[in-house]
Amino acid sequence: MDFLSLFENDFLGIIPESFIAFAACLLLVYGVNVPEHPSNTLVVNVGWLTILTLCTTILLLVTGPVHEMVFFYNCLRIDSFSLFLQVIILLSVISVILLSLDYLVREGIHSFEYMVLILLSSCSMLLMVASYDLIGIYLTIEFQSLAFYVIAASKQDSEFSTEAGLKYFVLGAFASGILLFGCTMIYGFTGLTNLEDLAKLLTGIASMPVVSSSGLLVGIIFLCVGFMFKLTAAPFHMWAPDVYQGAPTSVTAFFAICPKLAILGLFAKILLFTFYDLLNSWQSILLLCSLASMCVGAFGALGQNDIKRLLAYSSIGHIGYLLIGLACGTVDGLQSMLVYMVIYMTMSLTTFGVVLSIRTKNGKSIKNIQDLSGLATSNPALAITLSLTMFSMAGIPPLAGFMSKFYLFFAALSASLYPLAVVGVLTSVVSSFYYIRFIKIMYFDKSEQTLQFESLDASKAWVIATTMAVTVFLAAYPAPIFLMTEKLALGFCI
Amino acid sequence: MLLPASLRWISSIGFWGLSAGVIYQYTMYCQEVNTFPGGSPLLITIILLPALGALALTFISDENKQLQKVVALNVSLITFLLSLTLWIYFDSSVSDFQFVYHANWLNSANIHLTLGIDGISLFFVILSALLIPICILTGWSSIQIYLREYLIALLMLETCMMAVFCLLDVLLFYIFFESVLIPMFIIIGVWGSRQRKIRAAYQLFLYTLLGSVLMLLAILMIYYQTGTTDLQVLLTTEFSESRQMLYWLAFFASFAVKVPMVPVHLWLPEAHVEAPTAGSVILAGILLKLGTYGFLRFSIPLFPEATLYFTPLVYTMSVVAIIYTSLTTVRQVDLKKIIAYSSVAHMNLVNLGMFSLNAQGVEGSLLLMLGHGLVSPALFLCIGALYDRHKTRLVRYYGGLVHTMPVFAAVFLFFTMGNIGLPGTSNFVGEFLVLAGCYQTNSIVGALATTGMILAAAYALWLYNRVVFGMPKPEYINSFSDLNRRELAMFLPLIICTLWMGIYPEVFLNEMHASVASLIQHGSFR
Repeated sequence: MDFLSLFENDFLGIIPESFIAFAACLLLVYGVNVPEHPSNTLVVNVGWLTILTLCTTILLLVTGPVHEMVFFYNCLRIDSFSLFLQVIILLSVISVILLSLDYLVREGIHSFEYMVLILLSSCSMLLMVASYDLIGIYLTIEFQSLAFYVIAASKQDSEFSTEAGLKYFVLGAFASGILLFGCTMIYGFTGLTNLEDLAKLLTGIASMPVVSSSGLLVGIIFLCVGFMFKLTAAPFHMWAPDVYQGAPTSVTAFFAICPKLAILGLFAKILLFTFYDLLNSWQSILLLCSLASMCVGAFGALGQNDIKRLLAYSSIGHIGYLLIGLACGTVDGLQSMLVYMVIYMTMSLTTFGVVLSIRTKNGKSIKNIQDLSGLATSNPALAITLSLTMFSMAGIPPLAGFMSKFYLFFAALSASLYPLAVVGVLTSVVSSFYYIRFIKIMYFDKSEQTLQFESLDASKAWVIATTMAVTVFLAAYPAPIFLMTEKLALGFCI
Repeated sequence: MLLPASLRWISSIGFWGLSAGVIYQYTMYCQEVNTFPGGSPLLITIILLPALGALALTFISDENKQLQKVVALNVSLITFLLSLTLWIYFDSSVSDFQFVYHANWLNSANIHLTLGIDGISLFFVILSALLIPICILTGWSSIQIYLREYLIALLMLETCMMAVFCLLDVLLFYIFFESVLIPMFIIIGVWGSRQRKIRAAYQLFLYTLLGSVLMLLAILMIYYQTGTTDLQVLLTTEFSESRQMLYWLAFFASFAVKVPMVPVHLWLPEAHVEAPTAGSVILAGILLKLGTYGFLRFSIPLFPEATLYFTPLVYTMSVVAIIYTSLTTVRQVDLKKIIAYSSVAHMNLVNLGMFSLNAQGVEGSLLLMLGHGLVSPALFLCIGALYDRHKTRLVRYYGGLVHTMPVFAAVFLFFTMGNIGLPGTSNFVGEFLVLAGCYQTNSIVGALATTGMILAAAYALWLYNRVVFGMPKPEYINSFSDLNRRELAMFLPLIICTLWMGIYPEVFLNEMHASVASLIQHGSFR
């Protein structure tokens, strides 16, 4: 009891995280000790247990005893913002696992550690959005990245996967190094690592002549660059297409969706809460990165034939749009970013769900975008789903993708960031070119090859149906998501 | 359909009697505005009905193609009947928006769904509802693949188009203005006739999208500046002159592509030529009107000073377009391209009338839009009928059709005359009023625009001459089937309306007077 009194009620706040860590240990022990089964379905069993764990975690998060608290000596902070992010991260992780169960079995990825690593990385993502201290931030990012390096290389008999794992590791470690250097500079010039303390120190710094703030600025720049690496924003995006292409598709889906939500949420917290008074210095970095990402995303994807590379460039473009919201530094900007995050998550889940569920005649998973031809006749429902999602990704009204984009542009205009809004709409026109290419290939082209289409397994079908329903529902009635995010953004600023 | 013919007739008469009764009761019920919180629900019913029909189509099994067609046709016909009740209950003595319906949509951002029509938009709603059943009928036997998707696309298109004409919120207007692209892109790309269709579909999509994103930025700026996107509120707002210029140009970028005006008209002939007949009918009948409607509803009343400032620009571009496209028409060899270019000429004449900013001009332009919405789709239907039989659209393969298809020759002649603007047809009244309005403001522009009418007679008569008269070309034409009853049934409403508008246009003008007068007064143009 002595030990507990040291932290008072602090452990109440990390019930969900401790539950995940505990469950991960249990699953690891279970996976190691269970005898080798001839049908090799261990990864699926552990996968379902992982889903169960994550669902329980969501329940724990929502019904947990504390919803607003700073604990562990200012190391973690729970508030409605982090809670929201945690819930959508967990939802996306669950969906990705549901999508990939069947894929893992077919591709012969039988190692159950895959699931345990996903569980550990989701634990780290939960801690990441709650962390309130530069050290905590760095540790949680490293925890998550380490798990990812391993998953990226999880298909050991494939050269691509190994290469992707290596590239991801080298560049991820490099990015972490830059991030760490940024934290060091900030600490060195302020003597503080806590986000709240830093915020207090920096309040009003913009209006006073500070003698030695250049070191702090260098620190912030390095911090931003590190985050941009992790987010695959444009000048620092080189690794993304290769890693997305090389890694197994289920892993790509995981990379493309889950960590981005967490890192972006954390980045928003650091920039808008701690360094808000230095808006002028970091806004220009974000502005440049956002412009570059939108252009790279739009023009880079034009020439791609590989689906995963194309989706990688598309996600770079979407990061550019998300950074618009962050660059504004206003309530509207934050709100539009949150709306975009949720809608981007659902749209990407649908896309990856469809990509994961189609196979060519000889049972291989599809690689090229041309492999989709004939989908309209072999499976019209899936073809319509993919078409609507692509229109939505391109931001064509009245689909959900438009709802998220128009508010972003509105935020950019109201923050007087005119170049962002103009380049944003123009690149969205350019990018619509490659999104409608999917539709062209599925519907307009004469199909030479027929796709082998086996009926979707139930888990995938449910995920695709749900995300599609969300996309359509938000198109018709976007009020709920706007209301929710508005409250979050307002609460964040208070 | 196993019923004997007599029973089928009785049951269909019973069905239509019943639905007419239900529609009558429903509209009577809708008139009691006080009982509904959002206002009269008539408009939202009309808009949502096709979408519900499209939803119902998804539940019909794939084999039962006849049922799919019957359901789609009946839904669109009921929508048309309902839209006619709008005209019946329309009060032409006031210029306010009528049948206003209000619903919350995005409360936190203060964007609401407001529907309403006035004398300007009334007939466009009815025209959209009239053309969709005709489109469904044209595809009755010629659409072989993806029939269900075809019908769904048409019905969704109807919902979007009617929403565009009814919405009184700028942002929602933009949303539906753009969403027309999705079904249109698919209609051209999937059911278009040749491999070039993909290029056409891309051109339609990208031209229109590129034009309209600038309008989106302008709308968002207006929203940021005023905090609302409600048109009725915005009409009472006055923007500074420099802002007006900027907004006007941004709106212009979008509407000019849709109209289309000359430098950005290239998508139209392509899209028309490659589209299936129904696609051309919708494109010519409604989608071209979205641009001119946008000018009239948004650019002119919201930014009156910028409108006055930019009027010479519009005049110049329109006159160039009229003369250039009329001349271009003469050298085309593709039947559809000829009609497409003549549409461009007519729509630019509409522009001239609108920007003459007096009552005759604006009313003439409205009437010309309606007339063109009847005549041009009918011409595309004629060419569709030819294409269905002979699978070519090149003029040189045709000749002497009057010997083999006399009924077709008569119908084609009627609508060719309509296209020229023969007195007694709808286009004459429109063109006459437009030119009269034009002469009042700028006689040089009026004179130049009048040459367009001469050129129209030249190309239209020459086209008719080449296709219908002369000796038949037996080596190319091998089937001798004239129009069948279904095709005649599609032409009949268009013929009646064209004549009606040409002989007694006051019925239509009467509903417009109040709204047009308030539009002109609002901008204090006169």
